[in-house]
Amino acid sequence: MKRYFLRRFLYTFPTLFGVSLVLFFIFNGIGGDPAYQLAGKNASLEQIENLRQQLGTHQSLLHQYKDFLWQTVTLDWGQSWYFKENINSMLLKGLGPSLALTVPSFFFTLLLALSVALSFSYFRSEKSHSLLTWFCLSLMSVSFLTFIIVFQYLFAFKWGLFPINGWSQDFPFVLSFLLLPWFISIIVSVGPDILIYRTLFQEEINKDYVKTAQAKGLLTTQILYKHILKNSMLPILSLLLSRIPQLLLGSLLLESFFGIPGLGGIMIQALQNADFPMVKAITMMSSLVYILLNLLADLLFLLFDPRVELK
Amino acid sequence: MIQKLFLFFLLFMNLCCTSQKAKVDDTVVLFLDANIPHLDPIHSTNKYSSTVISNIFEGLYHYHYLKRPITLEPSLAEGEPQISPDGKTYTIQLKKGVFFQDDPAFPNGKGRELKAEDFIYSWRRLADPMNKAMGWWVLDGLIVGLNEWRNDLRAGKANYQTPIKGLSAPHSHTLVIQLTRPSFQFLHFLAMPVTMVVAQEVVEKYGQEIANHPIGTGPYRLEHWDRNSEVRLIKNKNFREVFYPSEGSAEDEKRGLLSHKGQRLPLSEKITVKVITERQPLWLSFLKGQVDHGVVPTDNFDQVFENNQLKKEFVDKGIRVLEQYRPDVTMIAFNMEHPLLGKNKKLRLAFAHALNSDLILEKFYNRRGIVAQGPLPPLLDGYDPDYKNNLDFNLEKARQLLKEAGYPDGKDLPVFDFELSNNATWSRQMGELLKDLWGQVGIQIRLVINTWPQFDQKLKNKQATLFEMAWSADYPDSENFLQLFYSKNVSPGSNNSNFINRDYDQLYEKALQLPPSPERTLLYKKMVDFINNEVPTLFLVHRIYRLPYHSWLENYNEHPIIYDFYRYLKVNTQIKEKNWSQL
Amino acid sequence: MAPIFSSHFKSLGRTPPSIVFAIFCLALFGLITLFVELDLIATDYRVTHYSQVYLPPSFEFPMGTDFLGRDMLSRALHGVSIALIVGFLSAFIATVIGLLLGVIAGFWGGLWDEFIVWLYTTLDSIPSLLLILALSFVLGQGLEHLFLVLGLTSWVSLCRLIRSEVIKQRSLEYILTAQALGVGQIRQIYYYILPNILHIALIQFALIFVYAIKAEVILSFLGLGVEPGEPSWGVIINDAKSELTQGIWWGLFIATTLMFLLIFSVNLITDFMRKKLDPQYHSSH
Repeated sequence: MKRYFLRRFLYTFPTLFGVSLVLFFIFNGIGGDPAYQLAGKNASLEQIENLRQQLGTHQSLLHQYKDFLWQTVTLDWGQSWYFKENINSMLLKGLGPSLALTVPSFFFTLLLALSVALSFSYFRSEKSHSLLTWFCLSLMSVSFLTFIIVFQYLFAFKWGLFPINGWSQDFPFVLSFLLLPWFISIIVSVGPDILIYRTLFQEEINKDYVKTAQAKGLLTTQILYKHILKNSMLPILSLLLSRIPQLLLGSLLLESFFGIPGLGGIMIQALQNADFPMVKAITMMSSLVYILLNLLADLLFLLFDPRVELK
Repeated sequence: MIQKLFLFFLLFMNLCCTSQKAKVDDTVVLFLDANIPHLDPIHSTNKYSSTVISNIFEGLYHYHYLKRPITLEPSLAEGEPQISPDGKTYTIQLKKGVFFQDDPAFPNGKGRELKAEDFIYSWRRLADPMNKAMGWWVLDGLIVGLNEWRNDLRAGKANYQTPIKGLSAPHSHTLVIQLTRPSFQFLHFLAMPVTMVVAQEVVEKYGQEIANHPIGTGPYRLEHWDRNSEVRLIKNKNFREVFYPSEGSAEDEKRGLLSHKGQRLPLSEKITVKVITERQPLWLSFLKGQVDHGVVPTDNFDQVFENNQLKKEFVDKGIRVLEQYRPDVTMIAFNMEHPLLGKNKKLRLAFAHALNSDLILEKFYNRRGIVAQGPLPPLLDGYDPDYKNNLDFNLEKARQLLKEAGYPDGKDLPVFDFELSNNATWSRQMGELLKDLWGQVGIQIRLVINTWPQFDQKLKNKQATLFEMAWSADYPDSENFLQLFYSKNVSPGSNNSNFINRDYDQLYEKALQLPPSPERTLLYKKMVDFINNEVPTLFLVHRIYRLPYHSWLENYNEHPIIYDFYRYLKVNTQIKEKNWSQL
Repeated sequence: MAPIFSSHFKSLGRTPPSIVFAIFCLALFGLITLFVELDLIATDYRVTHYSQVYLPPSFEFPMGTDFLGRDMLSRALHGVSIALIVGFLSAFIATVIGLLLGVIAGFWGGLWDEFIVWLYTTLDSIPSLLLILALSFVLGQGLEHLFLVLGLTSWVSLCRLIRSEVIKQRSLEYILTAQALGVGQIRQIYYYILPNILHIALIQFALIFVYAIKAEVILSFLGLGVEPGEPSWGVIINDAKSELTQGIWWGLFIATTLMFLLIFSVNLITDFMRKKLDPQYHSSH
């Protein structure tokens, strides 16, 4: 088992290498040479050339790639071209609001989806299941953007239940800005989750031990909680782990509509302003987190699920 | 679960109530509609950084809040400069007893007194190639020895102690500047945010982080900055004695802009600037009184105005409108180096005559603006409200010209790429209108959305064929608009239509030598005619800004050139309390 | 083609009415696309009426008009065609790549497998939104770039599923028998492997189809969608963000409704297919 894990760990290196290659070569082509923009209004060719030298963009791609790898190793991304600020400190500042938006809605969604799926596992009627399916599929058939536009209009503007837009550093006060984005976020993600969890539970219910219990008239809440939920925990956990990187990145749309100063907004501005160091940093960091979490998920499976074959 | 939800609901209701109460205080709440990238004066060529910067930092001169035509007055300078007879040497005395804002960078955390050396240091920073200052163009080639110092610094042959011939401080409060040529724009440059003064200690203490630690001499200091969200400014208690202007027009008097005359500035303790990038949320926040001023989104215009007047329901809520010109112009430019467009004037004229500027004004500016007849905007020298160019909207003429140009009904004409500078809905929709208008005579365009760097690169590389542009005055002199067509400024300079014409250059160079005078005005007018005759660029609209604000925001009167007006603003809490209930 | 439609598809059984409805909707959308592309309907989607802007639904304009006085219904119907093209071609590109690489990796294994697994692990490790945005910025806007970007970035989960299924199939008795009988490798894949993995590909195709149509809306928000001026649903919905407060609801309404009908139908069918065809569909997510 140790050997398997070691192998698995070593395997992250080629992946990291691949990620760095893709990032570097695709993202280098984004949106224009920054020297032109930085040169300002009345630029001269000489000025632009000098800027290229300072930014290092005049150097060979190989050289730039080496620099990039070094930055990845040291996690020191330098200064943002556009914001003129240290990238790491900007990322740290943006992380808070992003997490405040995504983490609670992540857990609310989880709770809601689990409890709906679990309670429907209790009902066995075909009809109720079809209704649930239709309901979830309907939620999944409307664009995220439509939800945002309509809900912001109705709840914040028309009925004035929430502030339209904004952010605050004060803890309880900031909740008023977050409630509506949370709600929208839950509405969008709860549909597919219910369906996935229900399938998992259904599968567990169809197993022999449950059938036996059922035949004895024992399908109680206890079985539901103690066995079915417990036995489905592993796939659910790995699913959740795989979503954590998305949480870090925040939600681009929600952040922009509700004025939440998170990483999603920083990212899109970086892309739109050809702020290559920033784009590299954000992408590389989230890829790192993703790779690490995958490793963690595999380890969890290894420890708790005897069925995993050690290849 | 239910219990928890209920608790949560209670908590939320509680929040709503407290927030309702908390809002009626005297903090001025303003907005910016894009993010503030940084707060470093040397890079402040964008409106958003400049706005905040010009309320924290100060320059030698600034513009009188109310006087029109736009008038310079001393800010950190003591009185007018002494200018040598050849117009090249400026001797400027600094005000005494001006202190920087307190900061740990200074001994004991106390802001020290401003000296003439600080300006020299600040302008060295502007010139330092390592800083990649976006505002460098302002002083580029203008001060004796500064460009040479810049080059030496890059080559490692100089440092910040190396003297610069054109910049000296013979006395702690005297600054002597030698120019390479007489410049009638120079004093305006000294009012721009890029030349505002910083302290060396602060820059050295914060290093790379300086853009987050603005410490100036101005009326406000930065209390808190939440990127993408809000800036909070707080009164600078070291701010010297400066008083609300007492001169203004009868109109200003009527609008109550003189009710605080002679009072010490700044008037408010606290200013909050919210960053709200989407138009709709901004408008909604304004209506709810969450910000004190706002912008009416184009699409909501007819809901708000009737016969150019604010509808009664809004007036009753205590909403007012500030209407003002700003010296700016929106344009559609041709790349004169394009083999087809550059050589075929009739083709460009066909574009011009098929362009229905009135319709654009109506659809995209809600008729709030003037159809531009040339590059020069209102408020500036040489602008003539009665002047009309010959480029009227006339589809027949356009078709005829297209035929004469060799492309009857657009036959054999390639599809031209029309470059848009951003991804805003508004911009795209205007592109769709242009596409439809030109399509009617047979000119086909394809819309291309760019990010700003992509757009900028295409322009500076001369890759763009046909593109939208807007220019607003960096300083209130028509020269700032006419230089857009000067041959020495071709891309990557600001002459992005790459218009090159010897005769025009001669006129421009001649005007540069002249002080403001009827003779110069005449030259300016001649140059406008010249441009309209050659059509390297089509001029669309000079905007009129209609800025709604709540009547509790007193003295609100944005300046057309610079945004250092925070110091004059005050919230009238009595009115605010009264009006709140009606929102 | 007979062997392709194996026993899996015969087990579809009785078709519930909801599926009949979904198939009817899809057929209708298909017809609309056909007619739109042949210029038979909605031909006036570019015709402007400057004096009739933002008209609410009426007899002349059943779904009102937009900011240039263009018929909203025609534009939304054009949107149907754009959505189907984007969804179909993105899913097609992704499926072809995923199927091809998945089969190669699963069937031949060895270095091929190592390389392909490395490739998709790499792509999977980059947040997909960032990847899509970056590619779109590089390629620029336009319909052809849109489905290329979406297709190139969404084949990973399909590939992974196909690969593991092929590995499973490869070691089954009948393939081993076929091998022993000297059946060529291509024939093995075509006759024995492909029929048993096609249901996975089909389900994934539908998922990517839906994903691509939804992604178009988000990309439009960022100005990275179809060529500006073309009436995709994303563009129509984006226009609504400023129109809604002045009571102009029809653009948002028609685009959302059509989008709902299309995606809901596909979702219903996908769900149905999963239940009937895929005995372990939880593992696909």
